[in-house]
Amino acid sequence: MFTVSYKPSTSHWIFPPIIMWILAILFTIMMALRLVRCRKAGTPFFGFLRNRFFVQHWDKARLVGTVVLFILYILFMDIIGFLAASIVFVFFYNVLYAGIGQLREIPTALKSGAPLHNAAFRSIVVSLVVSIVFSTAIWFLFGQVFKITLP
Amino acid sequence: MIDFGLAQLFMALTGVVVGVIFGALPGMTATMAIAVFLPLTYAYDLSTSLYLLLGLYVGGISGGLIPAILVNIPGTPSSICTGFDGYPMAKRGEGSRALRIGITASLIGGLFSLAALALFTPPLAKLAIKFSSVEKFLIILFALSVIAALSKGNMVTGVFAGFLGVLVALIGQFADNNKLRMVPDFLKVDLRNGFQLLPVLIGLFAIVQILQEAETGMKEEKINTDISHATKKFSFKDLKGQGVNLIRSAITGTFVGILPGVGGSAASLLSYSQAKNFSKHPEKFGTGCVDGLVASEAANNGLTGGALIPLLSLGIPGDSTTAVLVGAFMLQGIQVGPLFITNNIGLWYNILFALLVANVIMFIVMFYPIKYIARVINLPKHRIYPIIILLCVVGSYSANNGNMFDVWATLFFGLLGYLFFKIKLPIVPFLIGFILGDDLEKYFVDSIKGSGGSLVNFFTRPMAWVIWVLILVSVAWALYDDRRSKKRERQIKKQQEGKQ
Repeated sequence: MFTVSYKPSTSHWIFPPIIMWILAILFTIMMALRLVRCRKAGTPFFGFLRNRFFVQHWDKARLVGTVVLFILYILFMDIIGFLAASIVFVFFYNVLYAGIGQLREIPTALKSGAPLHNAAFRSIVVSLVVSIVFSTAIWFLFGQVFKITLP
Repeated sequence: MIDFGLAQLFMALTGVVVGVIFGALPGMTATMAIAVFLPLTYAYDLSTSLYLLLGLYVGGISGGLIPAILVNIPGTPSSICTGFDGYPMAKRGEGSRALRIGITASLIGGLFSLAALALFTPPLAKLAIKFSSVEKFLIILFALSVIAALSKGNMVTGVFAGFLGVLVALIGQFADNNKLRMVPDFLKVDLRNGFQLLPVLIGLFAIVQILQEAETGMKEEKINTDISHATKKFSFKDLKGQGVNLIRSAITGTFVGILPGVGGSAASLLSYSQAKNFSKHPEKFGTGCVDGLVASEAANNGLTGGALIPLLSLGIPGDSTTAVLVGAFMLQGIQVGPLFITNNIGLWYNILFALLVANVIMFIVMFYPIKYIARVINLPKHRIYPIIILLCVVGSYSANNGNMFDVWATLFFGLLGYLFFKIKLPIVPFLIGFILGDDLEKYFVDSIKGSGGSLVNFFTRPMAWVIWVLILVSVAWALYDDRRSKKRERQIKKQQEGKQ
């Protein structure tokens, strides 16, 4: 009982099963404790399935948008390169986080003849400036000055 | 022996300023700052990079006091109790006084922990050098048991998260026989060396935070940071009679820092409650009492040096931020552990000096221009987060000399961490398990190799007995504390039901 067979050729599979067993035991304990707790409280064991996963009134556009833009950002870096993809996606993220409703204001702002007097349009311009300035600065600082490998 | 010039001063200053910004913005932490700026260490040698990283660490912990005092929202978990007394002071028109008291207490706490780091790390490392693989294995097991002991009311969950981290660390090639395990065929090339630390860190500490903020709509409120009309100004005399409180809180913070997996919030809470218990006027706590503010701030900065003690002597990170620092050492090919000081004596002195410089710069940068620094909390998050995403991509891509798989891994661990947060599985034990997983396996296999497969080896050496006793004490404490926490929770619940 107090020995472990050690063979160099299979030594990579000595430790992982031990950890898996520990995890299985801990998981069983967690479930047993939950069962006891639920019995005492008179609540259903699988009651957590009815719990809300996201917070109330969660921001679907910002949360889903964050993940989708991240995936697209990775894919586009391979196609158009780091700097161009960064400018585009940092801009998208800025617009997403500042509020995509601003985009609807663009035609109105342009029609007014003085678009910069429109707060939403100004915010979009700021997003554009931020994305160009910071993406270029990071590309220059990391890639050119510090010679760090960039995508 | 100590590298210090304009470049190092600039790095420390940059680190402190950026750290203060991260610390002051609720939701952003020192851990996130270090994870995001880690790739910069490629450009410099480790000793110069450490000025930046330790500046970020000290600045990040200290910056949390600004929103805690001005709006009663702790910028970082480590300033959780700062607002209890700092905010009432700010409401009375003593905002700048409270901030300056907090900054001074932070400096004293930071310097105390630096002294503790310098005094205790070398003897602990000397002792650890004598450890065989058996003791090294048991020390890591002890670290994991401490995580359990401190996961209040969630002991089993904390241990589960820790061992899950260990399992994830085992993915990839085993160094002894170069064979792969737990790797799907299509990822054989990308996962040959397992998951890199940097993408895991960035995913768990930056992407998770951004997802949480995105979920709640990234709400921002314009906060009034005008502290120019003071009813009472700061004077160093305000700290008269705080000597014992300062030292006790700094010791508490340093001690909490030494324990693996315990966050700054525990340091702040513990020293605040101690200060209240020892106070002659506990009823004044929570009404704008200087003692409470001093206790919280001296403790959370006391944590900084304390958390570095187990890292540099045993290779075990004391908190999530020092876990990220492991990444910096790994990127430069330096192993932290018992031999660290012996093999890198120059670097060791540089760490001590860099921590001193970071604390002094933090004081200068925050104390004098506090009126302007306070405005940092109004920086728009919707402009900062996109830049952080950009830095996350750069950081994770460069983790392994340019590998897009690591960027995907960052996203994966970001989503995994977000799921952990939702199902209440703690992230810090998972990360510590992940960092220690490889060593845990190595020392276990080395131990059984040396004993021909016998597990009795783990119980025969006197030093091993001492560590077993420590493990048993920590597990016993964990069980006792877990029961006590649950009992207290039930009592509170009953009281609340009674009131309704």
